Amino acid sequence: MGESILKINHLSKTFGSNLVLKDIDFTVDAGDVISIIGASGSGKSTLLRCINLLETPTSGEILYHGKNVLSRGTNAPAYRAHVGMVFQSFNLFNNMSVLENCIVGQMRVLKRDREQARAHAMEYLEKVGMAPYINARPRQISGGQKQRVAIARAMAMDPEVLLFDEPTSALDPEMVGEVLTAMKALAESGMTMLVVTHEMAFARDVSHRVVYMNGGVICEQGSPEQIFSNPTKPETAEFLARFRKN
Amino acid sequence: MNKFAQLGADIVKLWTKYGSAYLSGIENTLILALVGTVIGCVIGFACGVLNTIPYTKADHPVKRFVLGLVRVIIRIYVEVFRGTPMVLQAVFLYYGLPYFSNNSVKFTSVWAAAIVVVSINTGAYMAESVRGGIISVDPGQTEGAKAIGMTHVQTMLYVILPQALRNIMPQIGNNFIINVKDTSVMFIIGFPDFFSAHRAAVGASYLYFPSATVEMVGYLTMTLVASFLLRWIERKLDGSASYELVQVDQLTMTAGTYSYPDKGSPFDERSPESVKSMQREALRRQIEREAAEREGQLAEQRRETHAAQKGGKR
Repeated sequence: MGESILKINHLSKTFGSNLVLKDIDFTVDAGDVISIIGASGSGKSTLLRCINLLETPTSGEILYHGKNVLSRGTNAPAYRAHVGMVFQSFNLFNNMSVLENCIVGQMRVLKRDREQARAHAMEYLEKVGMAPYINARPRQISGGQKQRVAIARAMAMDPEVLLFDEPTSALDPEMVGEVLTAMKALAESGMTMLVVTHEMAFARDVSHRVVYMNGGVICEQGSPEQIFSNPTKPETAEFLARFRKN
Repeated sequence: MNKFAQLGADIVKLWTKYGSAYLSGIENTLILALVGTVIGCVIGFACGVLNTIPYTKADHPVKRFVLGLVRVIIRIYVEVFRGTPMVLQAVFLYYGLPYFSNNSVKFTSVWAAAIVVVSINTGAYMAESVRGGIISVDPGQTEGAKAIGMTHVQTMLYVILPQALRNIMPQIGNNFIINVKDTSVMFIIGFPDFFSAHRAAVGASYLYFPSATVEMVGYLTMTLVASFLLRWIERKLDGSASYELVQVDQLTMTAGTYSYPDKGSPFDERSPESVKSMQREALRRQIEREAAEREGQLAEQRRETHAAQKGGKR
């Protein structure tokens, strides 16, 4: 793998007296596709939101190319522009068309001119198959389509790493496929991705590394083959067995 | 019937003599209400944005202090101007400034004084409305904007406020209609509004009731027209309920749906392989569009392979 983009050291997060993340250590290298799996409430989403500074960690450090983004004086918006995020609930801007959604960040944050931003947005909208819908408003398209637009919007910012927070959990079963297809294509193009997911097939077939979280700690991590066919921790085996039953 | 005939005659008498005064009063009232509402909205939006700048313990103490202070000041402003009658605010400002400064600071025109009073009064109400409008926008919108690197001001300007504006449009309309009527208290500082035309007319003619009838009809007409226009603006803001698919022909459904102005046809510069894959993709999308079952089938296939793989793992 290439050089490390993100290095997370001793990260902890508490909500009130509730310890959600305990002493997380974790590295993301360029080109990595990492799946984070685990039961609901195990802190997967919180970890992702901490990485994007949507939540402020209680302690620990997040090194982005060796610089701690949790130190005072970090320009959080500038950092977030390099770390894209795709949400469970899409969070497309409701007051804009599909195309505007993919352009506004490029124009306002990256200061690209409109033509350039449009061409760049179209490139990704085409990749996710949403080019015919550029004039639609978010409320007029389906959940799977919204999520594909959200992926295009994040990619149009040319992020170094893209975080996915349960991108298919809010979708009807028949729409999961189209989103996973788009994500698989992204992974194959060499994008660095960090995916919180309940789609075990995606974790196994697409990702390079699988992280199993349980109770706010990283219980086990390793290659998909190792985690799925030969887990070393009993908790991991139990979690996967529960999944197979469903 | 007799009385109504007399009322009609009196109104005609009033109108022939003071018609132009009434009309210029209506004009002044509308201008004052409109300008006051617009400036008030700007004040309200500014307060709403300043009020919602987030700060955490990790921020610099000076920044936290300033933001905290700003919130306190806005709170005081809102409470004071919302909690006192506009007629007294007008008197207070118009006569208070020269009183305290020995005539060195004063409003040189009643227009300026009236606009200032109506604006800051409306602003106090709008600050709360805007706060409500901002809260009413899904927090996911803020997160989405932050995640692509927007600052607080950019998030507000391009994402939150346009949606908040739509949500509080009825409130803005309310404020405008209230302003049309409540600017009548500006006669206290000698502002020539519609109501002051009434005072001038009855002072000379003693036709109190006929003039009040003119006023009633005049104010009601103004507010009815205003609320009609506001509904129209709301519908405009909502935009069209439908959208157009951008497609030129079936084969180029994905590739030909847009143009690179400097590149010509999207097929020109691509390898035969990518053209083929594009055609495949276009065909796939066409089938998808024609029948939703296709997607269902895909999902089913996926589920089947999933199940097979799961079975294989066991």
